[in-house]
Amino acid sequence: MQIDITHRPGNSAAKVSLQAGESITAEGGAMIAMSGHMQVETTTHKKGEGSVLGALKRMVTGESFFINHFTPAGAPGEVFFGTALSGDMMEYNLNGPGLMVQGGSYVASAPTVNMDIQWQGFGKALFSGESMFLIHLSGSGPVILNSFGAVYPIQVNGDYIVDTGHIVAFEESLTYEVSKVGKSWISSFLGGEGLVCKFRGQGTVWCQSHNAGSFGTALGPSLKPR
Amino acid sequence: MQITINRDGQNYGPYTVEQLQQMLQAGRAKLTDLANYEGAAEWVPLSQIPGVTQAQSTPAAAPIDADTYVPTGQHEHEFRIECKPDFSFLTVQVPASQTLKVEASAMATMSTNMVMKTKMKGGLSRFLGGENIFINEFTAQAGPAEIGIAPGSPGDMDHVFMDGSSEIFLQSSAYVASSMNVDVDSKWQGFKGFFSGEGLFLLRCTGQGDLWFNTYGAMIEVPVDGNYVVDTSHVVAFTSGLEYNVESVGGLKSLFLSGEGLVCRFHGQGKVWIQTRHPMAFANWAYPFRPQQNN
Repeated sequence: MQIDITHRPGNSAAKVSLQAGESITAEGGAMIAMSGHMQVETTTHKKGEGSVLGALKRMVTGESFFINHFTPAGAPGEVFFGTALSGDMMEYNLNGPGLMVQGGSYVASAPTVNMDIQWQGFGKALFSGESMFLIHLSGSGPVILNSFGAVYPIQVNGDYIVDTGHIVAFEESLTYEVSKVGKSWISSFLGGEGLVCKFRGQGTVWCQSHNAGSFGTALGPSLKPR
Repeated sequence: MQITINRDGQNYGPYTVEQLQQMLQAGRAKLTDLANYEGAAEWVPLSQIPGVTQAQSTPAAAPIDADTYVPTGQHEHEFRIECKPDFSFLTVQVPASQTLKVEASAMATMSTNMVMKTKMKGGLSRFLGGENIFINEFTAQAGPAEIGIAPGSPGDMDHVFMDGSSEIFLQSSAYVASSMNVDVDSKWQGFKGFFSGEGLFLLRCTGQGDLWFNTYGAMIEVPVDGNYVVDTSHVVAFTSGLEYNVESVGGLKSLFLSGEGLVCRFHGQGKVWIQTRHPMAFANWAYPFRPQQNN
């Protein structure tokens, strides 16, 4: 499997070249184009196993309920993936510690990567209006993630705070706590900062330069009421 | 030697010869800028300053930024596409008394001797059907003129020189501009219906000359030999020689559940241009942010 991320950073697309019989799993709706002999299988779970519960949990994170598996039959093939919003993509080779991915940042992964959903508490998520669901990726193999705007890594050594709307992914080696940024809920809310994630330990956090929720909020008043 | 340059009455610098060479390479200075160095009696074009031109004469091409495209192959009009791939902007040099066809409302800047005429392709009935394309004709009168063209969507742009032997099919919103001898046919119904549901129709471009088209998002050119599948909303253009069917991906389950909608399966030999984003996906994303109606 070969992954090339093209047209960075504004309108990135991921080109995945596969050997005959090799597969890649992607979020529903991510496919832009592909070789004619690509076989597509739609499931609610990881290829060959999984459960409906997993799919339900995935739907709650803002990911599609269904995931697609792409496999070229008989000869090598290619598939392009894109996203709805403008922005960058990154490839990460999972090997050892797992990765926590913000709901909505997941694009695709090798079939050797396991997906599981972690839920961060309903009340907090409602309060902030930001999705506080994380996809836990474990196992080994390549993973493709997308960001709204540019994506940049931050090496955490000790502790560090990131706004929940700017998190793309982080290494499992970090412990995290979702909390308010100010002293009280009121000041956090009025300050417009909502919820932040406090990371502790050693590891990498990948951040996106822009917060999609903030962009939507800025756009909203100019749109026709529904 | 310290050199001061002057453009449009404004002084810049002073710079060394090395700095000026770098600025020329990057396109930030022009050989036609006026220059003056200490001890010189008068302002002269930068090209006449010793040491500046020599460095310029080695690379034949004009200095261009990495994100600017100037034609290297066959073309009818001189042009450049700047700010690729995210905010592509086209500038075309139109020779005296020649005319360029441009998508309506895409003109951003132009010389004062450029004269515009509006043409409606397809007639009133198609206009009412929402399937129209207005093309404006820009003619350079009394001397050559320049026109700057900015498509509605931010994204990439490509140029094709049509030699008269093949046709190009364009998704209608992708059309940007073309030479007069390129015929843009919107009445043509050949593939219509295939795209139903996606709100698209195709333009058939034939003839000889330049054709420019744009995308929302970046553009990927895919050579097809055999069989290739593209999501219908990501199709920008394709060459004649390719046939296609519209179908769903995978089986019946995938049709409703994969989230991939309909795809075009191309077969034959040719080229397909695809876009990495599409406006409908963005509009769908923005939908929940619309304010609620007060009743």
